Amino acid sequence: MRRVGIVGAGAISRTHADRWQRMPGVDLVGFYDIVEASARRAVEQFGGTVFSSLHALLDAVDYVDVCAPGTAHAEPVIAALEAGTPTVCEKPLANSVADCARIVDAAERSGTPLFVAMVVRFFPQFAKAKHVLDSGAIGAPGVIRTVRSGSYPHPGAGWRSGVANTGYYADFSQSGGVLLDLCVHDIDYQRWCFGEIERVFARGMMFAGKEPKDHALLTIRFANGAVGHIEGSWAYPRGRFCTRIEIAGTGGIIEWDSRAQQPLEISIETEDGILSASSSSPTAPQDDPYYAELAHFVTCTEAKTPYLVSPYDGLMAVKVSRAAIESLRTGKAVAINRA
Amino acid sequence: MTTQSKVLSDPAVFEAEQALVAPPEGVADIRLGLFSFAHLHASSYAHYVSQMPGVALAGVYDDDLERGRRAADTYDIPYFEQAERLLAEELDGAVICSENAAHAPLALQAAGHVRSILCEKPIATTVSDGQAMIDRCRETGTQLQIAFPMRFSPPVMELKRKLDTGILGEMYSVKCTNHGSMPGGWFADPKLAGGGAVIDHTVHVIDLLRWLWNTEVEEVYAEVGHELLHPGLGIDDVGLLSFRLTNGVFGTLDTSWSRPPSYPTWGDVKLDILGEQGMICVDAFEQNLQVSSDKAGKTSWVHWGSSGDEGLMADFVAMIRTGREASISGEDGQRALEVALAAYESARRAEPVRLSP
Repeated sequence: MRRVGIVGAGAISRTHADRWQRMPGVDLVGFYDIVEASARRAVEQFGGTVFSSLHALLDAVDYVDVCAPGTAHAEPVIAALEAGTPTVCEKPLANSVADCARIVDAAERSGTPLFVAMVVRFFPQFAKAKHVLDSGAIGAPGVIRTVRSGSYPHPGAGWRSGVANTGYYADFSQSGGVLLDLCVHDIDYQRWCFGEIERVFARGMMFAGKEPKDHALLTIRFANGAVGHIEGSWAYPRGRFCTRIEIAGTGGIIEWDSRAQQPLEISIETEDGILSASSSSPTAPQDDPYYAELAHFVTCTEAKTPYLVSPYDGLMAVKVSRAAIESLRTGKAVAINRA
Repeated sequence: MTTQSKVLSDPAVFEAEQALVAPPEGVADIRLGLFSFAHLHASSYAHYVSQMPGVALAGVYDDDLERGRRAADTYDIPYFEQAERLLAEELDGAVICSENAAHAPLALQAAGHVRSILCEKPIATTVSDGQAMIDRCRETGTQLQIAFPMRFSPPVMELKRKLDTGILGEMYSVKCTNHGSMPGGWFADPKLAGGGAVIDHTVHVIDLLRWLWNTEVEEVYAEVGHELLHPGLGIDDVGLLSFRLTNGVFGTLDTSWSRPPSYPTWGDVKLDILGEQGMICVDAFEQNLQVSSDKAGKTSWVHWGSSGDEGLMADFVAMIRTGREASISGEDGQRALEVALAAYESARRAEPVRLSP
């Protein structure tokens, strides 16, 4: 039995806790949060212990899963690495490039395995698109476009208990707005598909004074000459969340749209004659992307094989996100330093 | 320009014009000459005008003898080896669908011989050519209309009506695509086309944005890819424009020829407009049948929606009948061309380019 402890008890922490609980061979032993009440509420739901300090948690676990906000990753991640505890770090690796560099440095120095939870690589449609691209079915890479757009993450049903603090996202100086919180997924995915990024140019609403709404359109140039486009939004109308993939190559194109026809559609005529409609796209439990990424962490850690996402990948995604923010600020294209 | 946008932003005016009484059957009051079938749109334009009451097609000029004869046969009209011969046929209007670089010489030749010219987009391959066309038409009292048929696409017209109601509140952003298949032929010849995917597919959407909001492009940044999707093509086939408009809206436009031959359709024109109160997404060519054919060896989308080309030609004919200003002027064509050329400049310099107001 492997013992896992979670640092941070916000929204993503609950998603991870739910997957850890289902995973055979893993025991979720508890939570540590700087706000003890948050950890206590998480324990009420998922069981385990409320740890009074980070070190108390590290002493009691085989793995640690850091789900604190990006501004608070460096301290627990570095402490865990130095303690020799294999670590999952939620994305973004950290909110600043400097913190990311410190973490990468600690991982290299300690030799402790560090997995950056870039979950989009584990979404089955995104993973399959990369697989098809790599198979050569559409030829050499040309243009990649992805979308990750919805409304501002207002507290949902599971959040109203007070565990999550959504104010964090609305403070762009903390969260980095959509460029750091959302687009970091697409930057990582596109970099995974097309390779290193040479420069980025961004337009967006981060500095438009419309908080918590934010919206960004990025153009990317890859080192191999290919180009990319990313839309990330917290300004869509509620209920209109959408993700998209489009990859064009020299011999074909791959497309997927979350708003296309779903495999399961339910239409019920209610007594007052109003149509109640819903649709979904069910997958097997092991293909759930959050389960898959955490299971991948366990498998690779036990087998001592490299993770699909390296600490350097985590660093580069943040570097490009930060460069995009700089582009917004300066109105210029920003070159990416890959050193 | 205010009069122009007034004509088209008011559907009642447009519809009233369409209802103008045509002459009695068999009598033509308008004679049109077709100048070159180099651009594929020529066939579509010719098809629609050939069916309009009161319109007679006087003939086809084309510097490609075989292409010209084939077109002339299709409509059962004379073929002219020289443009001036067709211009001597007492034409009311000239429809120019030559290679982009030949727009200017043909328009300069036709101005004064005809009252009205419909010129395929882009207006020209250089700003100076476009300006020469505008100037000559003004001097000779010739109406110059640029062929931007997307303004007559019914889903796009409905978008304009909705936007004009102010339904979105403050406007934030617009994400656009005008993807296409690689058209080949002279479209990939820099001398004749003036550029590749960027000049080919920037102008339609930029014209729509200018028209929708009565605005201009203030600044453009572009990533342009040469032979990225078609090795050996010798011209740009990928374009990603990032722009800011004078009305404060920012956006992007993908002009890439990224639809392979195996794709079910030629491409798309899409606009996702985001505002304070919500969003409106238009996919102008979404009205399709899906047809799977063993003969074709693939699945295709067959468009059943209304054609913007038909509206464009009806508007052109109405302009000739009424003598009013062109609804899409040479200046409109020029502004769209300037954005495409600025995109190329931006890509060369890897920095945003400001357009002169």
